[in-house]
Amino acid sequence: MVLEVTAKTNKGKVIAMGRKEYWEIGLDLDGEHRMGAWQIKEILDLTLPPRKTTTERFITELPKGTKSAEVEVKVTYKPAKTVTLNVHRIVKKLTF
Amino acid sequence: MKPFRWICVVFLLALPLTAQGEYKTLDELTKAYSVDKCKSCHGTVHKEWEASYHSQSVVHSLGGIRNFIVVGVGKEYDEPMSKEHLLRCMGCHAPQIKDASESLAKEIASLIITAKDAKSRSKKNAAKKKLAKLNVNCIICHNTMIKVAKNVRGDPRPGVFYGPKGGKSSAHKTEKTTEISRSVFCGQCHGIYTPPDGDTIGCNTLYGSYQDAYRGNGGTETCQACHMGKKKRGHTFPGAYQVGIVKEGIGLDVQAMGIKLHPGKWIPTAIVDIGLTNKAGHRIPDG
Ligand code: HEC
Ligand code: HEC
Ligand code: HEC
Ligand code: HEC
Ligand code: HEC
Repeated sequence: MVLEVTAKTNKGKVIAMGRKEYWEIGLDLDGEHRMGAWQIKEILDLTLPPRKTTTERFITELPKGTKSAEVEVKVTYKPAKTVTLNVHRIVKKLTF
Repeated sequence: MKPFRWICVVFLLALPLTAQGEYKTLDELTKAYSVDKCKSCHGTVHKEWEASYHSQSVVHSLGGIRNFIVVGVGKEYDEPMSKEHLLRCMGCHAPQIKDASESLAKEIASLIITAKDAKSRSKKNAAKKKLAKLNVNCIICHNTMIKVAKNVRGDPRPGVFYGPKGGKSSAHKTEKTTEISRSVFCGQCHGIYTPPDGDTIGCNTLYGSYQDAYRGNGGTETCQACHMGKKKRGHTFPGAYQVGIVKEGIGLDVQAMGIKLHPGKWIPTAIVDIGLTNKAGHRIPDG
């Protein structure tokens, strides 16, 4: 699952504010990342835990002279390499 | 032979649906576990199940299972393929293989390799078509897997379909069981698996998250409540591939503010605070 935040200025410039990935890493006994179900012996859990709100804060300086910007927050989900689901998209307008 | 014994033999023959035994051909095995005949009376359930990933539990995971056979067993274990090895995956992906003969298990393993690696498309498709008959079906869930408390409640009995109500039917025996409505029933396949030799399989760890993180934090719903009961999902079992349930599982709150930083320079600065709430019964994502 990927959280992406971008800002688009009134001059049309797109600035990446940040990106976070939530996933599980399957590890073998030597701490190596493994994909095979038979190889995986431990899980490093970097996911969203249930019944909890995970918070993220992004602070980004925009080019001087920017009068306004549209901040886009996107959540996408990839259940398989070839499949991407667009889960959420929220746009907020900021003025300076 | 005493007449009583004859009655038992005839009785068992009349109920081939969940017969135990050693099947030597794929046709015999898939026939014994066939659910085509359930369609005529349980049409809606059958349609829903066909649309679910449970009905594709081998063909949808083919690449990974092929890798286990070729790389895992073939190279890393450096051992010949066997039924015991195949069941390390199929114990959940197609538990009926427990009733296959050793030679049939090997045949299934080669079919999996053919379905992935064969040069000709028609050969691939033919193998895939055969493998598609192996899946997690009605008989697996309503009989084979009713074993969480088998030492107390006994093994699942051949020909009996266990369900939440145990409504009477002239077509087959039914029995009411609480097990099928409990999360641990799903946990048999959706959690870490320890085969008899102890070499654990980490295909799926979702049940651990359900138990420790969801229940551990006060969550009380069952897998069945969210995945079957809600929105009349029934036997479609939506999960990570259906945007509807994924949206339902992830709450998004966005707070954003524009300010000007550094006195005198007044750099326009965007501050964005995001809250992602996991409303599922386990970690998101799983995998
Ligand atoms: C304890 C039961 C269990 C065992 C044992 C098991 N699996 Fe799985 N496997 C599952 C379940 C349940 C899913 C689906 C879970 C999901 O998608 O979140 C799955 C999914 C998969 C997938 C991904 C399908 C997709 O969504 O694309 C692959 C590949 C796979 N398994 C391969 C294997 C291999 C290879 C083995 C043996 C080494 C194995 N599994 C053993 C239960 C098991
Ligand atoms: C992955 C496991 C699974 C599979 C596969 C499965 N079921 Fe079920 N089924 C369940 C569970 C769990 C319930 C009970 C849910 C509850 O607690 O209400 C259920 C409930 C039922 C019921 C009673 C409630 C209803 O919806 O009418 C019937 C009848 C039924 N299943 C028939 C079938 C048939 C026929 C098939 C195959 C086409 C099938 N099931 C496949 C798990 C499964
Ligand atoms: C001739 C009609 C008929 C056929 C064929 C049939 N069933 Fe049933 N089944 C019924 C009836 C009637 C009931 C009892 C009422 C109800 O629960 O729907 C029932 C009940 C069930 C239940 C129990 C549901 C509960 O509430 O506890 C399950 C599980 C079940 N059937 C599975 C199957 C499976 C699997 C097949 C195919 C192998 C099958 N049935 C074939 C008519 C049929
Ligand atoms: C016999 C083993 C078995 C049982 C029992 C079982 N499942 Fe599954 N389930 C699987 C396998 C294997 C897959 C993955 C199939 C694939 O994609 O290859 C799967 C897939 C799923 C999926 C779709 C996963 C995705 O990635 O979207 C959901 C949801 C699911 N199961 C929920 C349940 C629930 C809820 C129960 C209990 C009522 C249950 N399962 C019982 C083996 C099982
Ligand atoms: C409170 C509701 C709820 C409960 C309880 C719940 N789930 Fe889910 N489940 C969801 C939602 C929402 C999603 C979609 C978001 C996601 O993919 O994780 C989901 C996704 C899944 C997936 C796909 C996960 C992935 O990322 O591949 C599987 C498999 C699954 N659930 C199985 C289960 C099983 C098995 C149980 C019980 C042990 C269970 N769920 C309990 C709500 C629930």
